[in-house]
Amino acid sequence: MKIHVYAGLKDYFQSEFELREEIANTDELRAVLVKINGNAGPLLSTCRFAVEEGFIDKNFKLNSHDTVVIIPPSSGG
Amino acid sequence: MTPSSSYPPAVEVSGLPGAGGVVVEVSALSAEPLDVVGLLSRSHHPGAGAVVLFSGEVRDSNKGQAVLGLEYEAYGPLAEKLIGEILAEAREKWKLHIAVAQHRVGRVVVGDSAVVVITASAHRSEAYAANRYIIDRIKHEAPIWKCEHYADGTKEWGNNCNCHSVTGDIHKHIYESDPTQQP
Repeated sequence: MKIHVYAGLKDYFQSEFELREEIANTDELRAVLVKINGNAGPLLSTCRFAVEEGFIDKNFKLNSHDTVVIIPPSSGG
Repeated sequence: MTPSSSYPPAVEVSGLPGAGGVVVEVSALSAEPLDVVGLLSRSHHPGAGAVVLFSGEVRDSNKGQAVLGLEYEAYGPLAEKLIGEILAEAREKWKLHIAVAQHRVGRVVVGDSAVVVITASAHRSEAYAANRYIIDRIKHEAPIWKCEHYADGTKEWGNNCNCHSVTGDIHKHIYESDPTQQP
């Protein structure tokens, strides 16, 4: 599973990386990422997730070939 | 305007039926300085008695610290798509003749425009309401982020939408504009 992160998450992870674990949904993905870097936990708890240019919710079934974009709270404008 | 070299034109700004209409196309994101005057000059329509322009500009201070500039990052494909949807909803809801939004990515210096929203409608109340609706939703929902670059050499990603702390849902937001105006 490919992971892309943006903005403040780049303080904790590379902007793009790959995970080999079997990850079924965004809750599991968040837990895996917190294991990698616990300091990212508070920010990860506020992030949205997207696959194929659309937001997904926690019920979305992730696949190993997905590219998941992790989206911190917006701060545009 | 100066088109972005990084993002293709993605937002049809005004769907104007009939002859004499003006169709303006801009990218929702631009890596180049926003041409505020140029965008405004193209945003006129014979049926519009009101044109409202909002320009969000870079301040020289944040939380008491001197700011040199901001750096904006976006998840481009989704930001373009979402801004297009927001504009389409606003056009429909307020029967706008023109709805334009363009947001900067990359480094923006103090005093430069970071985001422009232009709305045009028959009367001013619709143009004002729609304009505020559009900028509110862009600020809360579009995957765009700012990093403050301070005069002391530090930088900080910040001023994130914090609505989830009240709504309990990262997908639900509280807008500054009249909540009854939200669809």
